[in-house]
Amino acid sequence: MNQHANLHNSRLEEHAYRVRHNALVMAETQGQGYIAQALGVADVLTVTYFHAMNHRPLQPDWEDRDRFLLSVGHYGIAHYSVLVAAGYLPEEELPTYAQDDSRLPMSGMTSYTPGAEMSGGSIGLGLPMAVGMGMGLKRKKSKSFIYTLMGDGELAEGPTWEAAISASNYQLDNIIAVVDFNQVQADGPSMKVMNTEPVVAKFEAFGFYVQRVDGNDLSQLVAAFDRAREHAEPKPRIIICDTKMGCGVDFLEGREKSHFIRLEADDWKRAYAALEKGAGK
Amino acid sequence: MNQVSTVTKISAPTIASSSIDEGHRTRAMPFGNALIKLAETHPEIVGMSADLAKYTDMHIFAEAYPDRFYQMGMSEQLMAVAAGGLAKEGFVPFATTYATFASRRCYDFMSQAVAEQDASVKLIGGLPGLTTGYGPSHQATDDIAIFRAMPNMVVIDPCDAHEIEQMVPAIAEYHGPVYARILRGNVAVVLDEYGYRFELGKAALLRGGRDVLIISTGFMTMRALDSAKELQADGIDVAVLHVPTIKPLDEMAIIREAKRTGRLVVTAENHSSVGGLGEAVASCLSMNGVSAEIRRIALPDRFLAAGTLEVLQERYGITRSAMSKNIKRWL
Repeated sequence: MNQHANLHNSRLEEHAYRVRHNALVMAETQGQGYIAQALGVADVLTVTYFHAMNHRPLQPDWEDRDRFLLSVGHYGIAHYSVLVAAGYLPEEELPTYAQDDSRLPMSGMTSYTPGAEMSGGSIGLGLPMAVGMGMGLKRKKSKSFIYTLMGDGELAEGPTWEAAISASNYQLDNIIAVVDFNQVQADGPSMKVMNTEPVVAKFEAFGFYVQRVDGNDLSQLVAAFDRAREHAEPKPRIIICDTKMGCGVDFLEGREKSHFIRLEADDWKRAYAALEKGAGK
Repeated sequence: MNQVSTVTKISAPTIASSSIDEGHRTRAMPFGNALIKLAETHPEIVGMSADLAKYTDMHIFAEAYPDRFYQMGMSEQLMAVAAGGLAKEGFVPFATTYATFASRRCYDFMSQAVAEQDASVKLIGGLPGLTTGYGPSHQATDDIAIFRAMPNMVVIDPCDAHEIEQMVPAIAEYHGPVYARILRGNVAVVLDEYGYRFELGKAALLRGGRDVLIISTGFMTMRALDSAKELQADGIDVAVLHVPTIKPLDEMAIIREAKRTGRLVVTAENHSSVGGLGEAVASCLSMNGVSAEIRRIALPDRFLAAGTLEVLQERYGITRSAMSKNIKRWL
């Protein structure tokens, strides 16, 4: 790795730390929440916003921006963490998360938050929305990409596959779908709730350019997003990111029931300390 | 039981027709033709269908503008959300399927990807109410109720070809989600004789009358006008208030007309008695302290039978003759 890449990666590490820290601040406000997902997907969102996407945080409706669609609405906490880190929202708003009249509702909605392109939450809307926007951007001869973040549980939703068929049919090579494959959903381990494997083979069969990477490895993510953008075939792209719930806070990693976590007051202090330690601070 | 004698041989037009009553002129494919005409000057308009272009008059748009038409296959949910995506990028998609699929199958997708995000999607449903003898899978008896309950939605049930042609540019001009149930193929032309112009959100008094006020929507307005003529011969003077936009409801016009005392108020719709125009009018009058004697002509709250359209419409009381007969009975 050359010096430039090293410097870039150390910047990304710093951003990822900030994204995780922001998520802890929001979750602490509520004493509970989707913190394990936010910590797990922090590296994916960091690479999306600080490496892959062409965007202007102070001009969220800039026409030539890449679009980011949060399909998993309850990842709002993760999305706000990166939107604050990127400068879309002021840091002071973090403690308003999920409070009345906040711009940071628990489930991400476009009318509430600058930089939120869609209202997700009703799971399975991200890829279909990307299809429509992909068609629209092609009509406008735009070079912009649409990134859509989905969860692994979401792969059980029918519309995801309707969209997959259509994205391939219409050769929507401006779609880069990203799956946070953290193996956990509301009712338990994702592959026990509904086994959607083999995911790579399925999306390949549906006509996608598929990559599967360690979603907590910044270098792998950077390379995967680069390849997704540069891939020559007129296919929609998907990056399956295997992530660890709670990544970066050791005592939350691998915790069994982690879809919605409640922590006691002292545990939040432990969490900040663990995050700092893990980041070598 | 000798069933054979009651069996009617079904021909294609009776399975799915636009319910044109005798004596009316028709025009072909008013929706498709109006959309083609509008698209000439509005490049933002695109068409979509979920494998029912041919049966919603979208196919002529697809032929006229192949590069502006998206065939979505049999994926209504995808179509609803993708229409939302196209709208986000500044286009005005007209998306067609049958009214049953548009409402029942697309509900969450219209709600969350279109209505909640205030996307300017025009969802067009063919085969409204009881206009097919296919049975409950294709009879959209609850679509108005379904979309009335959805915040931000505009809900329209146009009467005839004249109105559909005027509605198309009006809803394209309006920024926001719209659901319209349309008649397709050869569609009756009725309202031009009344000097009628479609205005979004406006009801129109098409004729005055001292004895009865029919408040109607969709093609039931055609039948209300024909019934009024028929009842005139019996010395019954019938007024007709046409309410094409069911949401938002033109409450002012309804209250104004219903307040004129001494008239029986009859609502008429090609839709279930639950959640359609009749309940909207009753609620409007009741909540505004207007007391009126109200009767309702609507489809019953049950899954309807399959069979011949003419027989079914008579059985469920939405023909002109059933309307006239009931009004006489109620007076």
